[in-house]
Amino acid sequence: MRWRSPLALLALLALIAAACDGGEAVDVDDPTGEDVTDETVDDDPDPDDDVEEDAATGGTLIAAIGGDPDQLDPHTTTSSFAFTVLENVYDTLVQPGDDLTPEPALAESWETSDDLLTWTFTLRDGVTFHDGSALTADDVVASFERIAEEGQNAFRLDAVDSFAAPDDTTVVMELNRPAPNLLDQVGAFKGMAIVSAAAIEDGTVGDEPNGTGPFSFVSFSPGDNVVLEANPDYWGEGPFLDGIEFQVIPDESVKVTNLETGEVDWIDSVPPQQIDQLEADPDIEMSQVAGNDYWYLSLNNAREPFDDVDVRRAIAFALNIDDITEAANFDAATPNETAIPETSFWFLDYAPYGHDPDQAQALLDDAGVSDLTIDLMVTNEFPETVTAAQVIASQLGEVGIEVDIRIEDFSTWLAEQGDGNFDAFALGWLGNIDPDDFYYAQHHSEGVNNFQGFADDEVDELLDAAREETDEDARKALYDQAATRIVDLASYIYFYNPDILEAWSPEVQGYETRPDVATRFATTSLG
Amino acid sequence: MGRYVLRRTAQAAVALLGVSIVVFALIHLVPGDPVRTALGTRFDQDLYDALIARSGLDQPLLVQYWNWLTGALTGDLGVSFRTGEPITAALLQRLPATALLAVASLLVGLLIALPAGIISAVRQGKPVDYAASGFSQIGVSVPDFWFGLLLILVFARTLGWLPPSGYTSPLEDPVEAIRRLILPAVTAGVVTGAILTRFVRSSVLEAMSAEHVRLARAKGMPDRYILRHHVLRNAWIPVVTVTGLQLATLLGGIVVVEVVFAWPGVGRYALDSVVRRDYPALQGAVLLIAAGFLLINLLVDLLYAKLDPRISVS
Repeated sequence: MRWRSPLALLALLALIAAACDGGEAVDVDDPTGEDVTDETVDDDPDPDDDVEEDAATGGTLIAAIGGDPDQLDPHTTTSSFAFTVLENVYDTLVQPGDDLTPEPALAESWETSDDLLTWTFTLRDGVTFHDGSALTADDVVASFERIAEEGQNAFRLDAVDSFAAPDDTTVVMELNRPAPNLLDQVGAFKGMAIVSAAAIEDGTVGDEPNGTGPFSFVSFSPGDNVVLEANPDYWGEGPFLDGIEFQVIPDESVKVTNLETGEVDWIDSVPPQQIDQLEADPDIEMSQVAGNDYWYLSLNNAREPFDDVDVRRAIAFALNIDDITEAANFDAATPNETAIPETSFWFLDYAPYGHDPDQAQALLDDAGVSDLTIDLMVTNEFPETVTAAQVIASQLGEVGIEVDIRIEDFSTWLAEQGDGNFDAFALGWLGNIDPDDFYYAQHHSEGVNNFQGFADDEVDELLDAAREETDEDARKALYDQAATRIVDLASYIYFYNPDILEAWSPEVQGYETRPDVATRFATTSLG
Repeated sequence: MGRYVLRRTAQAAVALLGVSIVVFALIHLVPGDPVRTALGTRFDQDLYDALIARSGLDQPLLVQYWNWLTGALTGDLGVSFRTGEPITAALLQRLPATALLAVASLLVGLLIALPAGIISAVRQGKPVDYAASGFSQIGVSVPDFWFGLLLILVFARTLGWLPPSGYTSPLEDPVEAIRRLILPAVTAGVVTGAILTRFVRSSVLEAMSAEHVRLARAKGMPDRYILRHHVLRNAWIPVVTVTGLQLATLLGGIVVVEVVFAWPGVGRYALDSVVRRDYPALQGAVLLIAAGFLLINLLVDLLYAKLDPRISVS
């Protein structure tokens, strides 16, 4: 019958579609790949399945991440999802320990010259890349030279003039100024990963990740998953798993459902409003750890009347950061009038503002400011800034300031920020460890991220001095002074430090949420 | 017929050229650029200038467009700013998932729309007609992300019958592929079905009011026979047109459904490209979607001649 033609057309299209499927990136023949599907289907019904000779080994961890790791080149990517994966593939010279102080990684030891301008690192013996080649000092030098060139993280090597490899296990760095935070800079995260010199030469760093970490790269199917398998020659403890499959699940609540139904074993974030629900679930381990990130409001010092410190301070007095914190993050954040969280050695206990609308009104009156309307720019890339903006608008309304909330997509937001086209913006800074990360680029008058146009000679001097101060207590004292002044002059008006929220199935053993959000699965097992 | 196809192809080429110019112009009109977005908050003017120069974004727009166009003509859509991967390969890698979901959604839509549309036309004004219209109204109005989440809540979280999200290639594991396909296909298919139901109903009604149908009825032919041989055959043409358009729309990627169900399709690729200002990737994705649209339209037109011998394509 003729009317069946449309269906025939559909069938044809279906066939074409199926035929196109040949280019699928997942390696079907790979035994690890097979395991992946098995694990997904039978999670709990037969406990005998999971137990092998050693209870602490085996199994593939299914880990859900909230977005696509755009690319897997550690030196050029800025995607946090890429780093969730790469954390397990690559190593750095040193790495943040449990308390975030640097500990040996690929370098087993290091020493500095008396003038603190020459750093000599000794590499660990017997480390090999996943392709079997040995790690040498040449790889380290080539990696740092590439980082300095590729740009994204070049600023971390500002203090370094040259890298040299006098022999296979020695790396020497010559500095142009003393840099007490050099270890943090070269090892804070996997953006400073050591890749092989051969991969750099062949241009394969992004396509064929070849690291020294606990897991080696198997496949990447963009928009879908990244598969890793255990590296039996890993230099550190572990790995205990057979492999990891990272699945991309963009919708937060769907990601949580995947954990609840046992489809995945671990998820990289939890919406704060679902914490209670997950904590009440006996089949889920909910993890909440104070993090090092901070969120803030910034006023455009280049525009009137925000060039007047009294106006900026008035706004700080008018805001109630407890309310902002609760609205934006429920109970999953700690209000803080400075940047650095109280869990850090560098924390400064200083909260001069509180919530004081009367003081705010008095300052505004003194400054002769009335009928003020603020163009407040936030972005839907970070919905908590939108929520915060709504609270800010209502709080500033109490002192007669009107707030026009402008919600932009992040690309537009960044362009507007770069062009100085805003009265105020709210955002956060992620992944800081050393106090220099928290203050220099943002508040030094020459700082590359000082978009608010803040300039204060005393802050400049303090930040310059603190950068080079090698005595830790003296350095802390300098940063305390700088931070006090930054808060007093309201260069930023700080809100809170959010907690890191992760969750996993009780089968996942030996994993811990870290304040720097490094997702290390080396010693993780499925029990 | 050959000449007809040739002429239509030429027209399509002109249309694609126009689409590419519009997309290129629009994405450059919007503030923001891929380098600034990639650098994010860690912005540094010197580094920015260097990366802009390296990616060729410092060249005049006309030169950039010309370079892109000459590449596209040879099938090379360039390299993504975001991923560093060739765009042609990235799109081909995502096309199967999108095509599978599109075809499945359309099947679901037709399974709903054909019976619902025909029955409500035949029983016009009866309760079943109102029920079908009601369904159609709801289906068009319900936001698909909400409906998708509802299905996940019921069938994955509560009942545990189906996996909540994800894609498996049918070549790898056909059973798992179908299990993962059902919820997204139903989500998108209900909307499609709701739209199609209205068209099926109105086409059938129109065909039923034709004079030859009234004559057939007057001659005492059985209703079933009339419906099959005199009504439906004439009702197909508008239905096929709309079905083709629906398929083309679905093939363009159902962004919301792809996001909710973590489906690695073309729609999400296009969305990510807009968000990250990945100019060449967006242009490539739009070109592919537009080409699909034009191709399906051409196939639909060719189908007319098959369905109704009175129509000649030449």
